[in-house]
Amino acid sequence: MEHPSQDSLLKHPNSITYESPYPLYALAISHSPHRVAVGSFLETFNNRVDVLSFDPETLTLKPQLPALSFDHPYPPTKLMFHPSTSSPNLLASSGDFLRLWDLRDHSAEPLSVLNNSKSSEFCAPLTSFDWNDVEPRRLGTSSIDTTCTIWDVERGVVETQLIAHDKEVYDIAWGEARVFSSVSADGSVRIFDLRDKEHSTIIYESPQPDTPLLRLAWNKQDLRYMATILMDSNKVVILDIRAPTMPVAELERHAASVNAISWAPQSSRHICSAGDDTQALIWELPTVAGPNGIDPMSVYSAGSEINQLQWSAAVPDWIAVAFSNKMQLLKV
Amino acid sequence: MATGSQTHDGVPENLRKQLAVAVRSVQWSYAIFWSLSTTQQGVLEWGDGYYNGDIKTRKTVQAMELKADKIGLQRSEQLRELYQSLLEGETDQQQAKRPSAALSPEDLSDAEWYYLVCMSFVFSPGQGLPGRALANGQTIWLSDAQYADSKVFSRSLLAKSASIQTVVCFPYLGGVIELGVTELVSEDPSLLQHIKASLLELSKPVCSDKSSSAPHKADDDRDPMCAKVNLEIMNTLPLENLYSSTEEIKFDQEGISELGGQIHEEINMDSPDECSNGCEHNYQTEDSFMLEGVNGGASQVQSWHFMDDDFSNGVQDSMNSSDCISEAFVNQRKAISVPERENVNRIHLQELQNSNHAKLSSLDLEADDDLHYRRILSSILGSSPQLIENPSLRYRDCKSSFLSWKNVAINDAHRPQVQQRMLKKILLTVPLMYGGCSLRSQKENGGKVWVRKLKSDDICIGHISDNRRENENFLVLRSMVPSISEDSFSLTNFSTFLWKSQIDKASVLSDTIKYMKELEARVEELESCMDSVDFEARARRKYLDMVEQISDNYDKKKIDNGRKSWINKRKASDIDETDPELNRAVPEDGLPLDVKVSIKEQEVLIEMRCPYREYILLDVMDAINTLHLDAHSVQSSAANGILTLTLKSKFRGAAIAPVGMIKQALWKIACKC
Repeated sequence: MEHPSQDSLLKHPNSITYESPYPLYALAISHSPHRVAVGSFLETFNNRVDVLSFDPETLTLKPQLPALSFDHPYPPTKLMFHPSTSSPNLLASSGDFLRLWDLRDHSAEPLSVLNNSKSSEFCAPLTSFDWNDVEPRRLGTSSIDTTCTIWDVERGVVETQLIAHDKEVYDIAWGEARVFSSVSADGSVRIFDLRDKEHSTIIYESPQPDTPLLRLAWNKQDLRYMATILMDSNKVVILDIRAPTMPVAELERHAASVNAISWAPQSSRHICSAGDDTQALIWELPTVAGPNGIDPMSVYSAGSEINQLQWSAAVPDWIAVAFSNKMQLLKV
Repeated sequence: MATGSQTHDGVPENLRKQLAVAVRSVQWSYAIFWSLSTTQQGVLEWGDGYYNGDIKTRKTVQAMELKADKIGLQRSEQLRELYQSLLEGETDQQQAKRPSAALSPEDLSDAEWYYLVCMSFVFSPGQGLPGRALANGQTIWLSDAQYADSKVFSRSLLAKSASIQTVVCFPYLGGVIELGVTELVSEDPSLLQHIKASLLELSKPVCSDKSSSAPHKADDDRDPMCAKVNLEIMNTLPLENLYSSTEEIKFDQEGISELGGQIHEEINMDSPDECSNGCEHNYQTEDSFMLEGVNGGASQVQSWHFMDDDFSNGVQDSMNSSDCISEAFVNQRKAISVPERENVNRIHLQELQNSNHAKLSSLDLEADDDLHYRRILSSILGSSPQLIENPSLRYRDCKSSFLSWKNVAINDAHRPQVQQRMLKKILLTVPLMYGGCSLRSQKENGGKVWVRKLKSDDICIGHISDNRRENENFLVLRSMVPSISEDSFSLTNFSTFLWKSQIDKASVLSDTIKYMKELEARVEELESCMDSVDFEARARRKYLDMVEQISDNYDKKKIDNGRKSWINKRKASDIDETDPELNRAVPEDGLPLDVKVSIKEQEVLIEMRCPYREYILLDVMDAINTLHLDAHSVQSSAANGILTLTLKSKFRGAAIAPVGMIKQALWKIACKC
């Protein structure tokens, strides 16, 4: 399989590439009609979110005509479509605020700008968010002010706000309708239950103290397992929530640091990771690990460091990766 | 081959298991039930037995499915079979030895041999220990059995060879139960009570905790024979007993508590799956769980655990548990639990899945937190659908973008200088780009360390390490440069400075630049009219000193403007001090010389007062022209030999002459006489 060329829209049986004029970071894929939202990464105020329509049948990926893209202040730190299949037009973005967008046929309307700060007109900067797929009204955001805010996005109000960690919170993931977990610069993975906001449980701490944990992914097919990545580390740490503090596995086959992880939406044993070594690896977690560690199942080499990876439940046969200013959809 | 329990009518079917429970609970070596013979009146003969003592060899022919808890039963069974085969071998010499006997005589330890031989004994009424026990209807406790008189205890010699030192017999259900142990135990009624109770009380389900390792804590130093009845089960083979995610049953020992015996409540650290409630259970199934981990040789501490719904007692054990934990997890890691690892018994336990608990191994947490986390886990795992074998990703290699993994050397793989650059930027620098946000408290965080590394080839708004010194410098600057507005410095918190300052720095600097320009102009103006004044020389010397000093101290990489502002500031202050003197000096010369130049936007306003001479106006216009100024309004008057000139002009093009230069030129003209 040869590497796709530099054309801006390339049709290849195995992968589809979209080349954008600026570096990309945030990616989101919606349910049918399948759309891919890509967020730019320019360190200025003016950024852009482009919405492309994706047809897995005809393997086309094109910007929606007329161009359905909108300006976004500052680079969006995360983009995500509404988890339910019934509202594929609702897109949320995080950054300086939590914003909701309604993607209509010809334009994207900002629906709301949600600010979780009572005291000031500015919101604490959001590093990430997650939309609860069991309870789609609920959306949790993580922020560098050490808090996690849970929103009721239908009403546009804050449901609750918790001080989650001692340092900045970098990622948040829902497990169940009322349970979420978060990772932070203090190096811990904590689980929270909205029914019992007084308590949280640390289920993992990075071995070198204060090594930030940058990303978190909760296996939605098998809620026992979570994966996380550390700063400057090539390891993907797999955790079992029933066995706190000890990781179940450490996947260590990347040649450089890992940038993104995503569990397979259709299988409980597979996880994909992508890193600075330009590779995206798909792993199958075995029942018993061999003595030399776990080897990945398959590998894809991109042209440059892969910064983002999305394996969406909307299109489980395709993995979206973003590197430099390209976005590729890879067939699994 | 028929088991002992089935051939005798008087013996309940599950007797062997009862015996097993009884003897294991007190950790004795064997238990035998002598039943009334059906053939001979009043005669006691072998009913059933359970061997719980040392084993010399263990035939490891068990299939993997057979759990350790069955080993004890199996051993007893094997011994019985051996006896039967030997018996038949004796009676019928021609017949080949029954192949079903898994053991052969040389495999047996002394105690096992004793047990085997016991099977051949019969007791007439009143004869021997069992006979007398039945006849009297009382318990007989024989210590020092090996030295007993053979009339009292007919097997005393046998006991000696097997080192059986204590034998107890008591009537039970029309027969006699005998228990023996290789240790010397003095008579203990409570023990008897316990044994009897355990024989009676076996309808409740059993829950076994799987502690992972044999060296399990404080139990070891407790004398199992002491008054405090010790009920614990310990599993020395965690791997074999590793259940899948959910199933375990609980052993409820309410019966024991009724006896008033001290029941030690303990909670072992185990693999994190326990069920919360006792459950009604099939006796068959629970037995298999009761009898666990019988292992040859090694220390076996077997007892049951009393599980309390309130796990508060567990905390004391958590210290000890930590060792067990690591082992448990090691084991667990070896077998990442899979749903397919099923077991007949587990099927019975599916319904228990709904309440799963886990105990945290973190010692920092209170027992309270354990409870909370357990609740969380139960809600997560209970609500999730039963783990089904998900179809693995089907690979159509020809169509997939992914290649199969090959274990190649990764030495020459791509490794960028700054790793996770974009990710770090998204998390660390981008959030700081937003203007005006207020943080609750932003301490010096690790993020800044990484940000420093990113700085090298960043185009983003620069982060400067070492905020504090910078902050202080900015404050000093603010105090010195009057035009810097308060707004730029409205800090809610000193420590939030960094990311407010991203934007405010710009305004601070621009204000500084403005001020500095003004000062520069002033300096030049004053310099040019101080040719003959000493002050200037002094100031200049000071200026030079200042420059040296500042350049020495100034180790930070700042823009030149900044530096100049420092220098100029100092200088300006000096000049300010000298200025009034200057002003006074000038009029004393007698000649009113005054040149004022001010620039408003693009318009330059020149006001001059100087002694009139011929062609002075021409010179002025000439000078202005050279400076690319276009005069559009001129007002002049010459009175008393003094020219008063007001001139408004505009810059011709883009080139803007600084105020100082204009002034300088005009001064020259004015002073020329």
